[in-house]
Amino acid sequence: MSVLPPFSLRRPETIDEALETISFDDLPLGGGTELLLAMRMRMLLPDSLVAITRIPELQSIEIDGGDLVLGGAVTHHAASSSSLVRDHVPILAEVLEQVGNPRIRASGTLAGNLVFAEPKSDVIPILLALDARVVLVSTNASRTLTIDEFILGPYFCAREEDELLTQIRIPTERVNHAAYVKYQTMERPTVGVAALDLQTAEGRRTRVVIGAVGPLPYRFDFLPSQDIVGKVIAAEVEAIPDAAGSERYKRHVTGVCIDRAIARLAEQRGR
Amino acid sequence: MSEAMISIRTSVNGMAHSSVVPARLTVAEYLRDELGLTGTKTSCELEVCGVCSVLVGDLPVSACAALAAELDGREVTTVEGLADGNELSPLQQAFIDTFATQCGFCTPGFLIMATSLLKTNADPSAEEVADYLDGNICRCTGYRPIIEAVLLAAERMRTGT
Repeated sequence: MSVLPPFSLRRPETIDEALETISFDDLPLGGGTELLLAMRMRMLLPDSLVAITRIPELQSIEIDGGDLVLGGAVTHHAASSSSLVRDHVPILAEVLEQVGNPRIRASGTLAGNLVFAEPKSDVIPILLALDARVVLVSTNASRTLTIDEFILGPYFCAREEDELLTQIRIPTERVNHAAYVKYQTMERPTVGVAALDLQTAEGRRTRVVIGAVGPLPYRFDFLPSQDIVGKVIAAEVEAIPDAAGSERYKRHVTGVCIDRAIARLAEQRGR
Repeated sequence: MSEAMISIRTSVNGMAHSSVVPARLTVAEYLRDELGLTGTKTSCELEVCGVCSVLVGDLPVSACAALAAELDGREVTTVEGLADGNELSPLQQAFIDTFATQCGFCTPGFLIMATSLLKTNADPSAEEVADYLDGNICRCTGYRPIIEAVLLAAERMRTGT
């Protein structure tokens, strides 16, 4: 059994207290589902971990000014079983119920998934599709970024070393219909496709977001009059070959998932 | 650097423990090495195989990738806590009755996860059982009797037989 490298552990009870210690060598610890594995593999060797699991504000789920607001320590399970989430953004609850396995969902947090910028994520594509924003706080500043401003590449996000991701804000009144179709044979999805009918400032759009198959999620917006053909969209994404399949295979599966997601939207429209 | 230590108070299978543990000690190491509860196994240490599953409160956790320090103030149930004295839980009895154990190494994890499922879903379908146990691996590949065991236990618990 390979043991974790040594570190000291802080257990603050407020965000301010946590911010005093968070730094390049002192990392926030949420569920630990990614961080502790990275440490065991010696990819990260922090001096200390700052457990944010005891900070009540970071566990909160609330509606604020047209946004569903999830605190930075909210787990996949807590969010998907929340009636606020289920009522206001049901597609998010549906996706979170499919993340990893029940243990990952019970410990893992949405914020942790974002900060790790894991490319094979279910969470990041659906949050991108929903126009979610993240709030990052440091001792003397706070800023809000969109998901595409925050997720910069595989395992690479815009969080500065002294920042804590305190909130995920999801607009609630934009989605008319939504579907998520993924294909998965291993621990992480081969591809995940979110399709949404949205009301945007420019009018109605059908949005397709493709996650897990490439280094970043891809977003495509279509007018209601446009035909959406899975194969055509799949030709435009980067499909990274790995143990889950070749590039050609993954592109094919991506096209199939897009068509299925669009078919599910059509079903919902017909109801 | 000297090892950073943390004081914790926790309840494991109904028994209170006050311990001073290294910050880096995992729940699995704490249960197995400090408390001698070796029913909880470790294998992949990547939260994928499920053999280290324990309940913290009502929720399942991979003991290989959780810190013992985070058990402070929490209640833990391991496979050793499922039986009531010498009386096996309905799920444990169903595992015996359907021959759902082969080499037995994965069994504690399956028992904990199935216990967690039946706490929230008293009448799961075979598909729901398979879906919930998707994160548990049986390398003897005896999945069918495991699913049968969970369905049988659920039925016995509902009908009181």
